[in-house]
Order: sequence, then structure tokens, then C-alpha cells
Amino acid sequence: MSQAPKQKSPAQSNPLFELGKERLELIGKHADALMQGYLEGDVNELAFSQQALQKLLDSRVLFYPQEQSLRLRPIVNELIASLTQDERKRQINTDVGEHLDQIDTRVQSLQGARKKGDYAASEHHMQLLTERVNDMTGQFGDAIESLWHRLNTEFGFVSSLDDKILEIELAQRQLRRILDGFGIINFDDLIQLAGSDGALRKLLVSQLQARISEHSGSLLEVQKRLVLLMARFRQQQDRALLINRMSAFLRQHPNFQIGDYPNRSQVPAVINQAHGISPQAFIALDRAQDSYALAELARAVPREPEQNLQSETQTEGFVMAVQNLVATQQKQLAKDVEDFFIQVIESPQALSGVDYLAEQGLPWEPEMWLFQIVAEYQGLPEQNKHSFMLEKDSAQQSRFNQLHIIQDVTVGMRFFGDFQAAG
Amino acid sequence: MIENGPLLERLLEGEFICAVTDEHSFHKLQNEELVNDLNHFLRPLNRRVANNDDGSVFFLAYCDLTQNARQHLSHQFTSTVQSLLPMLEWMQLVQEALGRDGALNAGDTIKLQDFESKVVDNQSLIHRLAHLANDRVFKSTSDKPDMQIKQVFKRIKDMGYLYQPHKDRLFYIVTGKVEQLIELVRFIKDEENLPIDDATPEQEAMF
Repeated sequence: MSQAPKQKSPAQSNPLFELGKERLELIGKHADALMQGYLEGDVNELAFSQQALQKLLDSRVLFYPQEQSLRLRPIVNELIASLTQDERKRQINTDVGEHLDQIDTRVQSLQGARKKGDYAASEHHMQLLTERVNDMTGQFGDAIESLWHRLNTEFGFVSSLDDKILEIELAQRQLRRILDGFGIINFDDLIQLAGSDGALRKLLVSQLQARISEHSGSLLEVQKRLVLLMARFRQQQDRALLINRMSAFLRQHPNFQIGDYPNRSQVPAVINQAHGISPQAFIALDRAQDSYALAELARAVPREPEQNLQSETQTEGFVMAVQNLVATQQKQLAKDVEDFFIQVIESPQALSGVDYLAEQGLPWEPEMWLFQIVAEYQGLPEQNKHSFMLEKDSAQQSRFNQLHIIQDVTVGMRFFGDFQAAG
Repeated sequence: MIENGPLLERLLEGEFICAVTDEHSFHKLQNEELVNDLNHFLRPLNRRVANNDDGSVFFLAYCDLTQNARQHLSHQFTSTVQSLLPMLEWMQLVQEALGRDGALNAGDTIKLQDFESKVVDNQSLIHRLAHLANDRVFKSTSDKPDMQIKQVFKRIKDMGYLYQPHKDRLFYIVTGKVEQLIELVRFIKDEENLPIDDATPEQEAMF
């Protein structure tokens, strides 16, 4: 009302429009107190001014049932329950007979208007008829939706299992009533009623039939689920009872002796549980094909001391690395010298160390090389040493000291030498 | 058969296989052919794959009740019976503390934190928890509810009635072995003709 529209649509020009809007706004204005009344049962009179209270009573929102305390009218209760999906109070109302009667009357009025050629009236009747049909299917839809909602929340609006079971029983009765309602709808009658009118046929027959069969399918599913849920609740109830009673019994009879079932001739299945054995296996080396896998495993085993060693190399850094390098070089040198001695053994005459070095293209410095040969020779066991003849080709560096520099060494087999000498 | 080695091993170790502890294996065991194969293998070990009444949990049972087998069964039965009352009391405690409608079922999740916060809010539950934790089955020496709860749940997990999906997260799932326990309770009730079917209604109303 605060802002009057410039152009009123046909619906808005209807006197009902203003009244209905006023009533809805009235409900909205007192929403707090009304909701409180909805939840508590009684509406607190003191929450309203005298004027407001009278208005609410006149608007058929509140009433005094038989001189009792102030209450919401049932229809308002139902409205709130339906809007909030409050399954505690939501009502399933599926009075199909009433709807069918009204549909029948409307169709007759419609046909009467058409015969008279009153298009405005027939249009109006058609609208009412459509609403009526939608109301009916909508009511089924609401009822089924309400059932689904209860199912999906597993009747969470009541707390105890016993109440849930009662609620399921109620839901099953409601479901049966909806199905009965479906049974009342006789499509043959409706087909006859619609006659040859295409629009009526569509509304009363094809559309309605589609909706009803859709609802039937949904109801069937609800029914199945209700039965399942009921079985589950009953089972839970039974189980909780069993646990409670058994524990109470055991508490009251602390010395209760249970039969010696394991040693009966027929041992009940429920106590036949084998004791656990842990299958163990160990490393076995008797199969050659396993050796590789086992070696892999052995390598994968983390070794403590080696880890320490590694961490040492890491902390000591390159010093250690250089030492390692030197060690490997030293080994290589010793090996080359060894090869040299082997060559000496195989060779018919004595060999010069410097020549051999040049011939083989070895990377050693001559001085280092000669030193190693001498060292190797000196390191030989006494007996083997006799087999070799080592001649140092050296020259005195200066007259003033005794420093001799070895230019070369010649190594030969003593045996050959003797032989040659003898020869 | 090779691919069923791990499953066989777990069964041999005395594990109960249910949809909670190992869904994959549990589904495998629905296959009768496979169970036959496993039984064939298990025969020399005097074992066979068994399941409870509603097929919600699999375990190994003895084929022949030899003296040795009976000895083991006796031992096991005694310890199960000993832990029966504490287990039932624990189930009641959880159910009441968490405000559940029905008794604990396989697959129910219990968050330790929720349970603890509910228990410490209620003097009578604290008292019952302390009593339970002191039982020789749970052997808690602590007088703090949180430690008592941890100990109780750990013991029940060790017994195989609870499964802890994450080692460091304190929530548990009830396993199918609980079903086996309930079946045992039902069996004892029927077999011993315990006069508990017509228990006084006040007791019923208490819970």
C-alpha cells in the first residue's frame, strides 16, 4: 500500500488482493510472537496490544478455542509447518473425494458457460478447474514430499526409538490412505467428463495420469524404504534391549557361570574362532635364483657404521677426497711397476726402467717411477731378490758431497745373467 | 591364489575381516568360489573361513575340534566372557553419552573428543567411566577421564572391536566383530535360558 502501482493489473484490482496482502503483512508484523506461539502451543496475549490482538482475531489468525488460552488457528499452524517442513506438525491431507466432486461441478459449470457462449465465464471456470486439479496433485506431491523428508531425516524429529517406530507406523497408514486416494480417481469417468474437449482432456486425463503415475512410483519407493527402516529400527531396539538386559543380569549375578561350550560335543559356531598364527619366513640361500634379490635386500639394509664414515668424509671435505685420489694413484703406480717386473721375467735380457716407461707411455714422472722400482725391489723377500739383478745407473752430482742421482735402473734376471756369463 | 596371500595371512593371524577393516577383502570373501579355494589351502592347518550369522564379518574357525583346538577355544571363550560385561557397559556408555537412539552398530563412528566432552559434562557418566576403566580388562591407572577414555578405547581397538583409520587422529569406527559379540550375547541368553526377556519395564525405561 505504501507505493501504489501506476497501473493495476486485473489481479490487483480484485478486492481480495488488498485484503489478502493486509493479512499476510499482519502475520509478518507479528512473526516473533506467532512463531513463539507455534512452538509453545499457547500464544501469549500480552505480546500484543489490545488493538493488534483484535485485528489478529478478526483476521482469523488467532482464536480462543472453547474459552481456553489464545492459540493459532489450525490453518496457520499448518501453513507454518508446511513452510518449515516441520514434520512434527505437518499434516498429510489427501481427501480425494472432495476434490473430485469439485472438479465434476466445475466441468459442468464450464460446459454450461460454453453452451451460452459466455467466454469470460468459461475462461474463469477453466482457471478454477486448473487450480483445483493442481491443488489435488499438489497435495499428493506435498504429502509424498513430507514422507520423503521424514524418511531422509530418519524421523529425527522424535528422539526415542520407540517414538520413531510409532512414527513409521503412522507414515505407513498415511501412505496407504494416499494409495486409496489414487484408487478413487477413475480415469474412465474423467475421460467421459472431458468429452471431446481437447484442453479438458489434456488437463483431466493426460496430465493428471502422468502426475499420478509419477507419484505412485515415488510412493512405492517410500513404502520400500519405510519397511527397511522399520526393520532396522526394530533390530536396533532389540539390540539395545539385549545389551541392557544382559549387562543388568551380569551385574546382578557376578558369579554367574557360563557353560563350558568349547568342550561340548557340539561346539556352537559362534565360539569357534581359530587362534591366530603368524606365518614367518627367513632368509634362505639354498636357491640360486634368489641370490640376486637377497643381495639387493642386503644392500638396501641401512648400515650404521658406514653412514658414520660417510658423514666423516662429508665433514672433512676435499682433504679426504684428495687422500683417496692419491691412494688410488699410488696403487696404479705399484701395479705398473709390478707389470714391469713381470716383463723383466719374461724378457731374455735386462730392461731399462726409463726405456720401459717411454715404451709403455706411462704417465709417471721418471724420478717417481725409478723410485718405485727400487722400492719394489727392496721390498721383495730376500730369496726373490736374489733372482733379480738391479743396476743403478747413477752419477755423482758434485765432488763436494756424496749425492748420487740415479739416471736409470736396469733390472734383469740373475739367472740369465749367470747363464750369459757362463755362456 | 597368489594375490590372496596377504588376505590369507591376515586371516591366519586371527584378524576379523569386515567392511570397516578391509572393504576390498570383505567383498572378495563374498565370492564362494574363492572361499572354497582358501578353505582348500587352509585344510591342513585345520582351519576354514567362517562368517557370522548375517555375513557381516569373516574369520577363521577350526575344521576339526581336536583337543588342541578345544584348548584354544576354551582359553578364548573364557577371556571373551570375562570382557563381556565391560564391553556391554562400554557400549551402553557410548550410546548414552552420544545420545544415540540405538545400540552401537558396525560402521558407527565415534569421535573421542565428542565422547569426552559429553562424559565430562555429566557426573554420573564420569563415575561410570571411572568404574569401567578400572576393570581388569581395561586396567587404567589414571584418574583423569581423558586418559581413562584413551586407555579404554585403545584396549577395545586391540581386541578388534574398533578400527582407527588414522593413527594420529582420535576417531574410531566400530568393526563387524561387535556383531559377533552381540551374537554371542544372544546365544548365551538363549542357551542359558537367562530370565532377561521379561525384565522389569523400569529397566527398559531407564535407557
